[in-house]
Amino acid sequence: MDTNAVIARCFADERRAIDESDRDTFLIGPDDLILITGATGFIGSRVVKNLLDHGFRNLRCFARPSSDVAKIDALTGGACGGMRVELVKGNLLSRDDCSVATKDAAVVLHLAAARGEKSFPDAFMNSVVTTRNLLEACLEHQCLRRFVTVSSFTVYSNRQKPRGRLLDESCPVEAHPELRGDPYCFAKTRQDELVAEYGKKFGIPYVIVRPAYVYGPGNEALPGRVGIRTFGIFLHLGGSNTIPLTYVDNCAEAIALAGLKKGVDGEVFNVVDDDLPSSRRFLRLYKQNVRRFASLYVPRFVSYALCYLWERYSAWSEGQLPPVFSRRQWHAYWKKTHYSNAKLKTRLGWAPNVPRAQAFRRYFEACRERRHA
Amino acid sequence: MLKVAIVGCGKIADAHLSQLQRVKGCQVVGVCDLEPLMARQLYERFHVSQYFGDLTELLTVAKPDVVHITTPPDSHFDIATLCLESGCHVYVEKPFTLYEEEARRLIALANDRGLKLTVGHDDQFRHAARRMRTLVQTGYLGGRPAHMESYYCYELDRSSYAGALLGDKGHWVRRLPGKLLQNIISHGIARIAEFLTSESPHVMAYGFTSPFLRSTGERKIADELRVLICEEERTTAYFTFSTQMRPSLHQFRIYGPENGLILDQDHETLIKLRGARFKSYLEHFIPPLSMAQQHLGNLITNLGIFLASDFHMKSGLKYLIESFYRSIVEGTSVPIPYREILLTARIMDTIFAQLDAQQREVVPGHLALQTADENGRPSSLHSTP
Ligand SMILES: NC(=O)c1ccc[n+]([C@@H]2O[C@H](COP(=O)([O-])OP(=O)(O)OC[C@H]3O[C@@H](n4cnc5c(N)ncnc54)[C@H](OP(=O)(O)O)[C@@H]3O)[C@@H](O)[C@H]2O)c1
Repeated sequence: MDTNAVIARCFADERRAIDESDRDTFLIGPDDLILITGATGFIGSRVVKNLLDHGFRNLRCFARPSSDVAKIDALTGGACGGMRVELVKGNLLSRDDCSVATKDAAVVLHLAAARGEKSFPDAFMNSVVTTRNLLEACLEHQCLRRFVTVSSFTVYSNRQKPRGRLLDESCPVEAHPELRGDPYCFAKTRQDELVAEYGKKFGIPYVIVRPAYVYGPGNEALPGRVGIRTFGIFLHLGGSNTIPLTYVDNCAEAIALAGLKKGVDGEVFNVVDDDLPSSRRFLRLYKQNVRRFASLYVPRFVSYALCYLWERYSAWSEGQLPPVFSRRQWHAYWKKTHYSNAKLKTRLGWAPNVPRAQAFRRYFEACRERRHA
Repeated sequence: MLKVAIVGCGKIADAHLSQLQRVKGCQVVGVCDLEPLMARQLYERFHVSQYFGDLTELLTVAKPDVVHITTPPDSHFDIATLCLESGCHVYVEKPFTLYEEEARRLIALANDRGLKLTVGHDDQFRHAARRMRTLVQTGYLGGRPAHMESYYCYELDRSSYAGALLGDKGHWVRRLPGKLLQNIISHGIARIAEFLTSESPHVMAYGFTSPFLRSTGERKIADELRVLICEEERTTAYFTFSTQMRPSLHQFRIYGPENGLILDQDHETLIKLRGARFKSYLEHFIPPLSMAQQHLGNLITNLGIFLASDFHMKSGLKYLIESFYRSIVEGTSVPIPYREILLTARIMDTIFAQLDAQQREVVPGHLALQTADENGRPSSLHSTP
């Protein structure tokens, strides 16, 4: 733990105090300490902003020494007032760092994870081992009221769904994530299992939040569910499928509420916005607003067949081509599916504060800026 | 059936298990890591029969014949010693040990116990590298090598490894005497060591921290290295490690009195360089044609190997494991001579000692040129105060 880098800041930004109506439904008060891991990340920095906007005044942001803390600095800059946002630098792979980070924390919003990691051990280490260290540290301090783990839609197998095409919290997660060929899916599935295990064994009050694809300034990539560019040309795989998206500020609101609302321990919440576009429409808007490029539409039955062939060849050749495309992968990403956010709305009182039109405008603008940068 | 175990369940252990699944005549009987979660994930994904959080338990319960050590380098010596003392043959990932002295002691112990050792320089056993070795052994160079150039680069800024290393002040790479360099350069140094004959060549090294790394606030890790190696005023070699040069080469060039060879590991190509010249303008026409022909030949060879499904990213690892196991089962010689392991370790020791001395002598940001004195030892030609 880099103790010199522990910076306490106070500032007098006149943020709104917690509404009276919210106060009764929240688990903690405005001065209780909230720990946010992955606070400098794409979503984490918005979660910090969201909590400040909700009137929470005692936040601890955890970041690695190499993290770019500019986003947090920008949020916390200002003169002294009644708020305290502490930036703690360390690594969740260190049990000592976890212990320092969780001390006195009433709520932990755990976002840190290895996103985009291509190796199984690295993804696992920075998602599962880190989560275990954090959970152990929480047990040590005995002051935790809620542990929110941020999972992902990727953990769903998207097969044998109880309600046809509808994917909701009741749907099965990947039973054999090691066969998906996706380190992120493997790590996230095991992370969820671990948190649930600690909840069961040690009574850690937890909530699992599973965001869909999170987009917005800071993540300007085209979702893989729309298509891929692996083979030189953009293969449009989504077609008429609905693309499960959530705008980063809406997602941050959901994560914050999952840590705050009373009476939702042990629950899972999918986070997906209203009014979702089809892949075709999203791609068209992207081309109109960001840049034009050639794309080749691959019908679903063809993408399924290709995934199947890739899977077979990978097995036959003993992994000469890694099993990155498989039928499991196809089901999870390119199968026609409908999505629901009903539970999020009813149990957490969540609403997508940033409507789709505005979210798209901001996103495309960020994409354009990034292109010209 | 050889019983195999893996100690250390990180990224490289994945590569070992993937290749071990392709090796006939062996069975993985256990995986072990101090972090049981890591051991469990490997066990689960590769359907290994048992996993352990304790090495002694692995050795007593699973009773392996061979142990692959894929832990951070500072633990190689202790773990290898324990495994040898328990009667196991040992495959140690690169770098073999932290110091030559440790390598020497391990080899002595293995010899004492009638056991075998090898080191994870699997790049030397990829398809093109093997073709190169055959050509050198059959005299294509026309005599002893006159000069070699080994490039072993690494794109630090693009790798997730950079994030892990820079984000963790306690990262194990920082504990190594040669830090980042020690974890990576042995592949490129071993290529040179393979073709040296003297036991103590002169080594002159110069290293520094790249502007990229400095911009992240890093001062302690050198990620640029240039080395000149010279033996008996007969064979010389340059070694280059760079995180910044593009393309990020993994090449080996070897020149003899008659001909030369260029091995490109990234393209998996081997190009012959003909020493004799053609007459007049023909020198401008025939060699380019011959180069085109050779590149086409390499393409066809690569396609052939791919179609035969033996073009895995770690094909050299499989070959090295198989050769090592064969040496155990059939009692033949080990695939990497111990002499080469020791010489690689010795050259690396010298490099790190010189970099260490440089770091203590030189004011950061100022240039220091290293040269050799009359005994071949490095001396500072010019170091600004
Ligand atoms: N973006 C999406 O579309 C999406 C969708 C569903 C779920 N999620 C989940 O949402 C969470 C946040 O994602 P994001 O998009 O904000 O990712 P991100 O921008 O990559 O942020 C992840 C953060 O985790 C930190 N981290 C990683 N390993 C760490 C370690 N060992 N110790 C301490 N910190 C560590 C990273 O630190 P550095 O800055 O030092 O790298 C980074 O700040 C993740 O759990 C992700 O799986 C994201």
